[in-house]
Amino acid sequence: MRHKVLYLFILPCVVWLLVFCYYPMYGALLAFKAYNYNLGILGSPFVGLQNFEEFIKSPDFWIVMKNTIIISGFKIIFGFPAPILLALLLNEVRGLKFKKAVQTMSYLPYFVSWVVAVSLMTVIFTPYGGIINDIRKHFGLESIFFMGEKKYFYPMVILSDIWKNAGWGSIIYLSALSGVSQELYEAATVDGAGHLKCTWHITLPSIKGTIGIMFIFAVGGILNAGFDQVLLLQQPANTQISEILDTFVLKTGLNYGRFEYATAIGLFKSAFAFALMALTNSVSKKFMDVGIW
Amino acid sequence: MKGKVISMKIKESKSRKVFVFFNYIFLAAFGFISLYPFWYVMVASFNTGRDFAKGGVYFWPREFTLENFSHAFKDSRIFDSLSISVERTLIGVVLGLFFTALIAYALSIKTLPGKTFFTFFFYFTTIFGGGMIPYYMLLRDMGLTKSFLLYVIPAVYSFFNFLLLRTYFDSIPAELRESAQIDGAGEAKILFRIFIPLAKPILATLALFIGVGHWNDWFTGAYYQSRPALYPAATLLQKLLGEATASSTIKLGQESNLSTMTSYTSQSLQMAFVMILTMPIVVVYPFLQKYYVKGVMIGSVKG
Repeated sequence: MRHKVLYLFILPCVVWLLVFCYYPMYGALLAFKAYNYNLGILGSPFVGLQNFEEFIKSPDFWIVMKNTIIISGFKIIFGFPAPILLALLLNEVRGLKFKKAVQTMSYLPYFVSWVVAVSLMTVIFTPYGGIINDIRKHFGLESIFFMGEKKYFYPMVILSDIWKNAGWGSIIYLSALSGVSQELYEAATVDGAGHLKCTWHITLPSIKGTIGIMFIFAVGGILNAGFDQVLLLQQPANTQISEILDTFVLKTGLNYGRFEYATAIGLFKSAFAFALMALTNSVSKKFMDVGIW
Repeated sequence: MKGKVISMKIKESKSRKVFVFFNYIFLAAFGFISLYPFWYVMVASFNTGRDFAKGGVYFWPREFTLENFSHAFKDSRIFDSLSISVERTLIGVVLGLFFTALIAYALSIKTLPGKTFFTFFFYFTTIFGGGMIPYYMLLRDMGLTKSFLLYVIPAVYSFFNFLLLRTYFDSIPAELRESAQIDGAGEAKILFRIFIPLAKPILATLALFIGVGHWNDWFTGAYYQSRPALYPAATLLQKLLGEATASSTIKLGQESNLSTMTSYTSQSLQMAFVMILTMPIVVVYPFLQKYYVKGVMIGSVKG
């Protein structure tokens, strides 16, 4: 066979995919079964949609869904435009050294894990010598336990998300911006358009496609809500508003050992996220002429 | 009429100047906010813990000490977890590059039958998966949850890495491969002698992505690893963070009053640990910037 060696190159990946990606897909059957360890996944009896029903009827369902949607919604409202705005502002900078310095600095948070990010937040916001409360004290204000108080949970999640990801997210928009033809601006300026008008009528429409695609992905990921970030920022004081689908799956599954129930919730999430993405895709295709399929 | 145009231009350039001024201020502030937390934690790690807890240390250590670091390295848990992180990162990068290169090379050859099928077979796993629990059960049944191999084997491939490298290989002219074949070189020789040396910049980027992924991964250790002796450093930090938040308020206050022998606190030790974990990344990533920026752009266009 002519391509024997090439297929040999592909083989390890195929085996790996079958084991670590496709086999767990088969394992998702568990969601429709009453799991019995001795019988295995295949041998355990089918119970149909019972696990899904139990979740949807449980009081946890509304709390978890609400939290997931609120956190993701806030992230889309504030977190999604942040890298676009940053890219637009960076694009206006003529000094290349300054631009590069800001970019390099803003990428750094993306490269550290959420564990490190949350550690940094803990030391910055602690009432015991942390800089934020220190400054508050200078102005005669009370110390606040930012990391532990329920009402600061959402702001902390959103702001840290922007801090960590906006710089990195701006890369894609900057590359899209660099492709906008300079002639368009020159023509518009001759016609008397100001900078703001140019941005509104030329720059934004030119990167519309990129924005649209990124938006579809953002909506597709809406039910993820930043899993490990939320997990790490979760505290007993805020679980009422911080429990999201993924953290709930983790707890019911790994902490309480309810495998089939947790799998059903996970599957519910995947299916729902996929449906949302498909919907956004078709809407975006209809109105903005961009889509990912 | 003419006068109006001129006055508009002057006005325009004035507001333009104001904008440019505030733009620079804003971007400088954003850069500062991105960077400062790291600086702050460095200052904290070089300052005695008891003194730091009093507040007012912002830009430079007030009571300089190396005590936090020496204690961090003396703590066998921290030391062992760091060596696990180093090992998994090195092994992970080498295995990741090797196996990704194999499949990226094979699927970059346009005449290979089944090319589209294999690519889709790989792509499909990025949009659909079995979920956390079936994945965990698989790891458990394979015995990986009690093993170091948990960190390296399940993390060998990623579709994004594959795409990045294949896109690069695609840009290498097919004639290069053909002429090497005429000279009698086999596929392995072409890949390792021609393609890989040509792809050095992109391989460096991949090494960064894979390495950072391994170095930062705390979740695998925290939820899938059943032997605490095998926790990597990021997982240990997460456990320490959990312990600290559980008892932070009382513990810190007590330590600064009661401990007369030591000047470090659980917080200052933790900050030294955070520094040790962060430094390798801070040192490496700026040097590869021009490569990974290009890489992300490729990924976004094709993905």
